[in-house]
Amino acid sequence: MAAQKTGKRKRKEQSEYYFDYSLLVIVLFLLGFGLIMVYSASSYEAFDDYGDAAYYMKKQLVANILGLVAMIVVANIPYHFWERFAFLGYLVSAVLIVLVMTPLGIESHGARRWIRIPGIGFNLQPAEVAKLCMILFLATLVCKMGKSVRSLKGFFFMLLAPLPIVGMVYLITDNLSSAIIILGIAVLMVFVASPDYKKFIIIGLLGVAVITIALFTIISSADSVEGFRSERILAWLDPESQAQDKGFQTVQALYAIGRGGIWGQGLGKSMQKLSFLPEAQNDMIFSIICEELGLFGAVAIILMFIMLLWRMMIIANNASDLFGAMLVVGVMGHIAIQAILNIAVVTNTIPNTGISLPFISYGGSSVMFLMIEIGLVLSVAKRIQLKEL
Amino acid sequence: MLTNNNKIFHRKKIMVVFLACAAVLVFLFGRLVYLMVWKADHYSEMATQLHERERSIKAARGKIVDRNGVVLADNKTVCTISVIHNQIENPEEIISILCRELELSEDYVRARVEKYSSMERIKSNVDKSIGDKIREYDLPGVKVDEDYKRYYPYGELASKVLGFTGGDNQGIIGLEVVYEETLEGEAGTILTMTDAKGIEVDEAGERRIEPIPGNTLRISMDRNIQEYATQLATQAMATKEADGVSIIVMNPQNGELLAMVNVPEFDLNNPYDLPEELGTDLSAEQKQNALNAIWRNGCINDTYEPGSTFKIITAAAGLEEGVVSPESSFSCPGFIVVDDRKIRCHKTAGHGGQDFVHATMNSCNPAFITVGLRLGVDKYYEYFEKFGLKQKTGIDLPGEAGTIMHKKENMGNVELATVSFGQSFQITPLQLLTTASSIINGGNRITPHFGVEALDAQGNVVEEFTYPVQRNIVSEKTSETMRSILELVVSEGTGQNGKVEGFRIGGKTATSQTLPRGSGRYIASYVGFAPADNPQVIAIAIVNNPQGVYYGGQVAAPIVRQLFENILPYLGIMEYNQ
Repeated sequence: MAAQKTGKRKRKEQSEYYFDYSLLVIVLFLLGFGLIMVYSASSYEAFDDYGDAAYYMKKQLVANILGLVAMIVVANIPYHFWERFAFLGYLVSAVLIVLVMTPLGIESHGARRWIRIPGIGFNLQPAEVAKLCMILFLATLVCKMGKSVRSLKGFFFMLLAPLPIVGMVYLITDNLSSAIIILGIAVLMVFVASPDYKKFIIIGLLGVAVITIALFTIISSADSVEGFRSERILAWLDPESQAQDKGFQTVQALYAIGRGGIWGQGLGKSMQKLSFLPEAQNDMIFSIICEELGLFGAVAIILMFIMLLWRMMIIANNASDLFGAMLVVGVMGHIAIQAILNIAVVTNTIPNTGISLPFISYGGSSVMFLMIEIGLVLSVAKRIQLKEL
Repeated sequence: MLTNNNKIFHRKKIMVVFLACAAVLVFLFGRLVYLMVWKADHYSEMATQLHERERSIKAARGKIVDRNGVVLADNKTVCTISVIHNQIENPEEIISILCRELELSEDYVRARVEKYSSMERIKSNVDKSIGDKIREYDLPGVKVDEDYKRYYPYGELASKVLGFTGGDNQGIIGLEVVYEETLEGEAGTILTMTDAKGIEVDEAGERRIEPIPGNTLRISMDRNIQEYATQLATQAMATKEADGVSIIVMNPQNGELLAMVNVPEFDLNNPYDLPEELGTDLSAEQKQNALNAIWRNGCINDTYEPGSTFKIITAAAGLEEGVVSPESSFSCPGFIVVDDRKIRCHKTAGHGGQDFVHATMNSCNPAFITVGLRLGVDKYYEYFEKFGLKQKTGIDLPGEAGTIMHKKENMGNVELATVSFGQSFQITPLQLLTTASSIINGGNRITPHFGVEALDAQGNVVEEFTYPVQRNIVSEKTSETMRSILELVVSEGTGQNGKVEGFRIGGKTATSQTLPRGSGRYIASYVGFAPADNPQVIAIAIVNNPQGVYYGGQVAAPIVRQLFENILPYLGIMEYNQ
């Protein structure tokens, strides 16, 4: 409570503040486990393509270390420092997304979603920036709006504010999954900020209705509908019938999961990673975990994510102010949505769309931003006075 | 700053978010349980199909051995050389080595080595020594698979009986076809795990389903008898400039065939070679027809008019029915008039007065026509059917020809008269021999056969083949009478050339003109058996279109005589009458 106001008191009461070691341990475990699995899943193809079985693992290790450094830095900066950059961040993410269309944009895997940062040879995905900035922006917005959050006007303002970014991510970078994640983060944050339930139930029902109608139209006109997304939906409904085409990745992931069984084939013993499941270290890494470590390995990972969310819930509930709580809720929403959607895609529970598994999937920029978010959460946790607990 | 009021609803909402997320994760856990427990078998099976490459291992085909265990059809190990594109490391080296060792053109090998396919066969049926040599180079991507090829150690021996096999070791003709199931065995498989590009995963090892070799087929043929009979037939064919000579040797008591020869035979190890005189510019169809003619087993695939040897059947029917006895007397003026037709005897001057025994010894046509007419169409036809002449013999060889006989309603006295001495209808040589055996063996219609038993790799009997026997087609008394009459035919009658010093031989000769009449083409044949009082072996020799002398007694009987002279002592049939 107002602890940050004088440096003197802050230092004096430091020992009474909270540091969430459990959260840190869970994150470190997921990172370490992720490295092992990235090595296991990618070594065969890495050796084939680069002559170095640890090629991807080494790159991921570097990203993890950089991410840890960023986390430590962010964790030690009082989180209110970022409040002033909220609107700037919103604008920057919009600009970065537009930059994708310029020559700075990089095309990979048939989609233009990255920009090259000149000089350091590091590719940035603006969608990742947008996720982080959206969390910061909405947390700030909720605090600024104060009581007006409760009015209908305030409610719609909060809901509409993220839509431009969501739309840009979807339309400009053609990245439906990131757009869904950003929208999901926003909805969760607004849900927590607003005392109301009814409106969200209505939104939820509307969403379900729209999805149902869309699915129904696609299925009933299965022969005539063409295009990227509807084909994916059909492949989702019966992946084996499209095993050579749109359903290929899904079927290969299901093979891997099925091969795992209860006890798994053993670490390193995946067959599916031998080019049957292309780029197994990326979005589909969870299926390799299932294949090698079985149901028990998969359960362990799911439990780790539940514990991670639980720790964040504790921190959010005990945050010293609403801004901190909202920040943690945003990060929690981000990690939860991404983990859920990833596992749902891998198990063919929802149609295939590219979403990485937080902390585990290969991908430098994703892990960097996740670690910054964890840094924010730790920073919020640090402000919790132990007597408050 | 959270006010207390605010805190409460925020905390509740954060809790709701957490619980909702946890609930969804638990649901996904449930989905995983479903996939990894209930659907695990389904998906892992499909995945295994995807991961495993299959190479089949041929099963060794069962051997065919003769009654004494001499191997007549065997396997030799050959190699199949193939390349697996994805495992090739040094294509140039492979091409040069394979060209050199397999004596193939570079273009041919290069096309196959460079073709992008999971596995490409370069050459099959490569000698094992060459295969081993290629294996020693240890070239990555080159596979040397051992394989079996049928091998017939005696080449032409009994070619039309044994038959041969095709590219997949399946029987094409002969015993190889009929005993396919016994001989074929069960192919095995080598399953290797590969990655998506088809490269074998070394540490995964390979799964082998071992092939089960086929069973050995033991047949009743005696290689020595078969070989000797082949020599005699070849000799006769050469000296008589005949189109072909067939010899069948059988045990008349149980139908076991000891030899079946049809010269010219063909080389079982090169069954598709055509004689050079046919030339090379044949259409595919002409070629196939020529091959079919070469592979044809005349003893069972072709029918002929048996002629006088068929008098054995007429005589047995007459004796059995009681319309004739050995003492019955006949008179032959050299012809007989049946209805409005005058049918000549082969001795135009006539045989004069004679009893039935002498009529048979003289092979007198009018006497047998008289017997036939005494029986009448109905009775004669009844015996014809009772003796089994209308059915196939049931031999265990493919493509047996049926009997071509008048329909009963179309049979008048003239037809009956001609049938009585073996003309105007057709049966196979084996049918004649089988029926004659059944008449002289006490009246049991036996099934001629080669297959005796199937043995496993350790030599244990897995299956004994049994064949139907129809008892009492004639009485023992008739059978005995027939034996003694037929013994007299050889000792004093037309079959004297069939006599074997020191043995009691029974027999009957025949000279039949082939259709159309007057073409000057004859078939000389002779059926002989020994010992005459207790027949243990019966043989028929048929000379097709002999030049010069064409009488059965002169052309065919000596063949069986020479055969008996050798095989009777060999078979342990001792001299009786001294």
